[in-house]
Amino acid sequence: MTRRKLFGDLCWGLPALAAMQLLAGGRVTPHHRPRARRVLQIFCPGGASHLDLWDYKPELEKRSGQPMPGVEKEVSFQGANGALMRSPWKFVRRGQCGKYITELLPHLGELADELAFVHSMTSRSNTHGPACVMMNTGFAVEGFPSAGAWVSYALGSENENLPAFVAIPDVRGIPPSGPANWTAGFLPAEHQGIAFHAAEPIRNLARPAGVSEAEDEAARVFLEQLNETHAARHPGAGDLRARMAAYALAARMQLSAPEVADLGAESEATHRLYGARDANPLLAAYARNCLLARRLLERGVRYVQLFCASRASGVDGLLNWDAHKTLQADYERHAPILDQPTAGLLRDLKARGLLQDTLVLWTTEFGRMPTHQEGTLGRDHNPDAFTVWMAGAGIRGGVSYGATDDFGRRAVDGVATIHDFWATVLDVLGLDHGRLTWYHNGLNRRLTDVHGHVLRPILA
Amino acid sequence: MRYVFLLAWPMALVLAEDLERQATAMLAKQCVNCHNSSSRMGGLVLETRESALRGGFSGPALTPGDAGRSLLAARVAKGEMPPGNPLPADARRLLARWVESGASWTGRLLPAARKRAGKDWWSLQPLRRVDPEIPADAPASWTVSPIDRYLLAAMRERGLSPSPPAAKRTLARRVTYDLTGLPPTPEELDAFLRDDAPDAYERLVDRLLASPAYGERWARHWMDVIRFGESHGYEQNHLRPNAWPFRDYLIRSFNAGKPFDRMILEHLAGDVIAGGDPDVEVGVGFLVAGVHDTVGNQAEAPRRQQRADDLDDMIAAAGSAFLGLTVHCARCHDHKFDPIEQRDYYRMAAIFNGVVHGERELAAAAEKERHAAAREPWERALREVRERLAAIREAARPEVAAQREAILAAYRPPVSDRFTEERFAAVRAKWIRLRITGTPNNSPAAIDEMEVWEGSRNVALASAGARVSASSERRADDDPEAYAARHLIDGRFDRRWFAASGGPVEITIELAAPALVDRVSWSRDREGGFQGKFAGPPVTGYVVEASADGRAWRPVASAEGRLPYSPAEREALVLRAVLPEAQRREWETLEARRAELEDRLAKFPKLPVAYIGRAEQPREPVYLLKGGNVMDRAGVVTPASLSAFSFARFSLEEEQPEGERRVALARWLTDARNPLTPRVLANRIWHYHFGRGIVGTPSDFGFQGEAPSHPALLDYLALRLLAHGWRLKPLHREILLSQAYRQSSAFDEGKARVDAEARLLWRYPPQRLSAEAIRDAILAVSGALDRRMGGPGFHLFRYTVDNVATYYPLERFGPETFRRAVYQTAARSVRSELLGQYDCPDSSLPEPKRSVTTSPLQALALFNNSFVIEQAELLAGRLRKEAGADPARQVDWAFVLAFGRPAEPGERAAAAALVERHGLAAFCRALFNANEFIYVM
Repeated sequence: MTRRKLFGDLCWGLPALAAMQLLAGGRVTPHHRPRARRVLQIFCPGGASHLDLWDYKPELEKRSGQPMPGVEKEVSFQGANGALMRSPWKFVRRGQCGKYITELLPHLGELADELAFVHSMTSRSNTHGPACVMMNTGFAVEGFPSAGAWVSYALGSENENLPAFVAIPDVRGIPPSGPANWTAGFLPAEHQGIAFHAAEPIRNLARPAGVSEAEDEAARVFLEQLNETHAARHPGAGDLRARMAAYALAARMQLSAPEVADLGAESEATHRLYGARDANPLLAAYARNCLLARRLLERGVRYVQLFCASRASGVDGLLNWDAHKTLQADYERHAPILDQPTAGLLRDLKARGLLQDTLVLWTTEFGRMPTHQEGTLGRDHNPDAFTVWMAGAGIRGGVSYGATDDFGRRAVDGVATIHDFWATVLDVLGLDHGRLTWYHNGLNRRLTDVHGHVLRPILA
Repeated sequence: MRYVFLLAWPMALVLAEDLERQATAMLAKQCVNCHNSSSRMGGLVLETRESALRGGFSGPALTPGDAGRSLLAARVAKGEMPPGNPLPADARRLLARWVESGASWTGRLLPAARKRAGKDWWSLQPLRRVDPEIPADAPASWTVSPIDRYLLAAMRERGLSPSPPAAKRTLARRVTYDLTGLPPTPEELDAFLRDDAPDAYERLVDRLLASPAYGERWARHWMDVIRFGESHGYEQNHLRPNAWPFRDYLIRSFNAGKPFDRMILEHLAGDVIAGGDPDVEVGVGFLVAGVHDTVGNQAEAPRRQQRADDLDDMIAAAGSAFLGLTVHCARCHDHKFDPIEQRDYYRMAAIFNGVVHGERELAAAAEKERHAAAREPWERALREVRERLAAIREAARPEVAAQREAILAAYRPPVSDRFTEERFAAVRAKWIRLRITGTPNNSPAAIDEMEVWEGSRNVALASAGARVSASSERRADDDPEAYAARHLIDGRFDRRWFAASGGPVEITIELAAPALVDRVSWSRDREGGFQGKFAGPPVTGYVVEASADGRAWRPVASAEGRLPYSPAEREALVLRAVLPEAQRREWETLEARRAELEDRLAKFPKLPVAYIGRAEQPREPVYLLKGGNVMDRAGVVTPASLSAFSFARFSLEEEQPEGERRVALARWLTDARNPLTPRVLANRIWHYHFGRGIVGTPSDFGFQGEAPSHPALLDYLALRLLAHGWRLKPLHREILLSQAYRQSSAFDEGKARVDAEARLLWRYPPQRLSAEAIRDAILAVSGALDRRMGGPGFHLFRYTVDNVATYYPLERFGPETFRRAVYQTAARSVRSELLGQYDCPDSSLPEPKRSVTTSPLQALALFNNSFVIEQAELLAGRLRKEAGADPARQVDWAFVLAFGRPAEPGERAAAAALVERHGLAAFCRALFNANEFIYVM
């Protein structure tokens, strides 16, 4: 039960909770009526191909094998490009809206009517690390706060026993640039994404090995006495009290976090819906992370950032969506991992009524080239076009915004930036992206830098 | 709103005066904030019609009667002005109509309200000493130090008064942590408490300033300001194993009391002025202490972007650290708030244009000479051998050409990374083994697929029931399957098996059933897709063996008789065949000698290197980039000082040696007429002593920064700094001896109502220890602290590299991690648990002012992390050793060590009870977590 439900909107102001508010409370009064209260961001690192998942290009199919018209010899991130290369998979009409989606994602395809696609996304970097950080923080250099940290800062937590912002890295490892994707940057450290996944608990959460429960409790009680005496000697020092409250909160978190990560309480049907019993261990592991994501959202975590795939390895496309060489083999491995568990999560959120006030984002750092990389059957990086989608609270389902050219090489219609994307997300949360600021090194910094326009057509 | 109203009228009805009023009001509101006689953005002043006609760098702004030719109207019409804030369409039309109608404009426009800093901004003005009035009823002690007089005067204006002096015990703890980052030892504390001499405190300050721990503490502050980190950042984020000499240099410099103008010169141009002294040269590491993207990029725009980002990092670091200005905000357009033109940004880029990231040999000139001299005989011998070899080769050239084909024809084709095949007489086998005996340069072997053929059937496939193993397999920590042997027989070429290292290795395939095998094949890169950084050579030495029982092996094929893989070796083979016997022997002797000499030189002891960057005359000038876009170059920009400063200006030609540019910048920054550098530095010192600067934004003295709380005091301190010859220690001393620093931190409700944060310093503001001080204090109190200074840092992570670097937090902490936290290898975006939670920055960006946060995760990191648990055990051991077996004495000693005071009776009883029931360690763990331990009052 969230505190908001117990006390109503006034609860933030209750004096008894003043110290708590210091730790968990939001800092910003919504600028307008929010349509969503929490965010689930799915991130597929490696540059998930718009051309093989979401952005249907009949012209690319027709002219596959021919050179890209009007381009002599294009050099992209890894080098020269060859001829146009169609997607190895068919695109099929899905849902009432009749959206063409790859046959590789049958489960997500079923949800076409829930999804609002943005096909005209562009990034400023063609390199995984900076591009991931760009997508998640609005800046291609590291050190800026992640969107989740901004939302935590703006809205705080709805559950004082859990962090406001949780990052769930993939069981295969962390994404390019790692923790810079969920950092609080220059925002206070409390807004940092707390990283853990279904197979790995929050660090330092458990009672240390070799310390009995009784000893733990006795040490804690003694510490409280020490701090109480000390605080009494130093009246007017609010931060001493805040730090005592933080210990109390940590103790509660020690109880609540294992509970939320315990998937045993979920029914067998739920496990199966997500694919958590799948024979493919990677699919099952991601499914368990999806289930964890729902449990966190349900308990009032404000922002969950869920990764599907991980970093660059010694072999392109092995651990993430970076299909430079063997697109078909790579995506036959990655797509099923994403498909059923993500679809299961969306269905479950909907069935539980959570989708009414949860905004769901599917994201990646850039798209891929319509041509194949010379000498390979893969695609190189393409920051000039990629697709993301949104679903859930505040979003019109079954629509598509913006478009790429005939081959998906560049966004040409309604060209959208990462800042536009986040401006839209903040708008759904009741926040004006131009007014959500934090002073740092000479500027009032924003998630959207000095840019960003809300993509109104996809809003409900 | 007004414009909308205006448009509602029929156009003809708008009177000329109205038009002028509306248009000039708009200019005043939207344009004059930047284009006024003090800011002069783009050289343009829009205060009067005449100044608009004169125009700026782009030419006249106004051509009355022609809106298209009037830049003023045209740039507004295009939405380029005001930057980032285009005017609505009706406003643009209004402006155009006003220009078309002749631009009638009388009088002078003034900016409506100050929205930006001009050249008259406070921080750019010369330093000025203004002595404060001393209030008649001032406490005598507060009238001695000018610092106190300034503070007192400001307090009196708000009806505030200072606090009484702090207790000696409190003060000792405060100043010891402040100057050294460590707690006072019980002996030090005791000596100070027993010292009743009037100058006891003064001597304490002097002792602390002379302590080597001072440099460790204050260099760490400076490392925040200049974003010093020990990994590259970005995606690959590899460590810089040789960045530590720069840290040692900082610590040495702070301890030696090096004048800061000298320090700035060394930071910017240590390599230029070193004169062969590595201790000076290393200072230039400042320029490359920031992030650097190491991912190779084939596309032009991103490559330029990477370079532009390197320069941007240097500009941001230098601008903010020394000038307290956000010069980097002018990368895309003129600074929106401060008088910094976009051109200024590129002037600074031109100053750094010769600096690139990387390591450089760091040794004294004499040592370099000795080293070169020692190598010289070997190098000379090698040169001679090579010359003789070339002569033999040259002489044999016609013969080689004539016989080449015939000689090569006697061999089998060389191995290939794409496909290598061995055919042999059919043999019945259930096991096939590939014994790899050689790879070029002993690189780790890699194979994407291996086939074993019975006729046209590949019986090695896993899908056919075969099994495979390899005697060595590379492992990626987070994906053990990445390079597994099973990829050898999966029928696909997309994944490869890799040996863990070079050297002999075996692949063994067990077939599902005995087969009549007559052919084996394999490849490293069958489809030619592993190019670029993934390319590598094939296996060059091997034996294929067959076995019926898995025990007795029979060789069936080998690399014998193949042409060498390397073209050079193939050529040598031909040469050997054509040379007459005597010459062939000479040639072989010389070849052996060459290999020996090369090996000798390769093994020659190397000079030490440090990650301090390299400098070379730039091959390409710096261009002004429109909108910061690397593909949109305007004219060339040459090195020069910032235009808003009128003193000591410099401007250099492109041809001048790049090192001179950096020297010029350093001289300009530390010119006696530059008020900003000493102001910014003095404020930083104040900031670290009181937890807050006189300017609360230590790296921003511009419009967006905070105004100084005590401007006259700030100037006084800056002037004192100059008077002390840019030495910090005398300034520290003066501040620490002030009554303001020595006063109590006791709370006072009445005063707090006037000034809750004590910005006016009516009390000493309590401080939470920094992350490093918390960790160091735990080690100091437990007795485990290792005070060894300098050298490579220790790691608080486990480090693995598989293309990109991955950092895993440590589970256990060995004694190598018991050094001071300043020696922790600071990898970017890797926040170690304890340090990161307590706000130690990750060094991706400069951090002139750490936030001080409170969170439950901090509590978890300090209460449950194995480091604290272990240290609690160590402290328990120390207590038993030093205080004996009596719990009451143990508790008292622990309080003295941790808090600098004995326990109160109530505390002693509660603690003793805890010790009795759960042991000393439980009590020590609580102490490390206590507020009293991590707050300084």
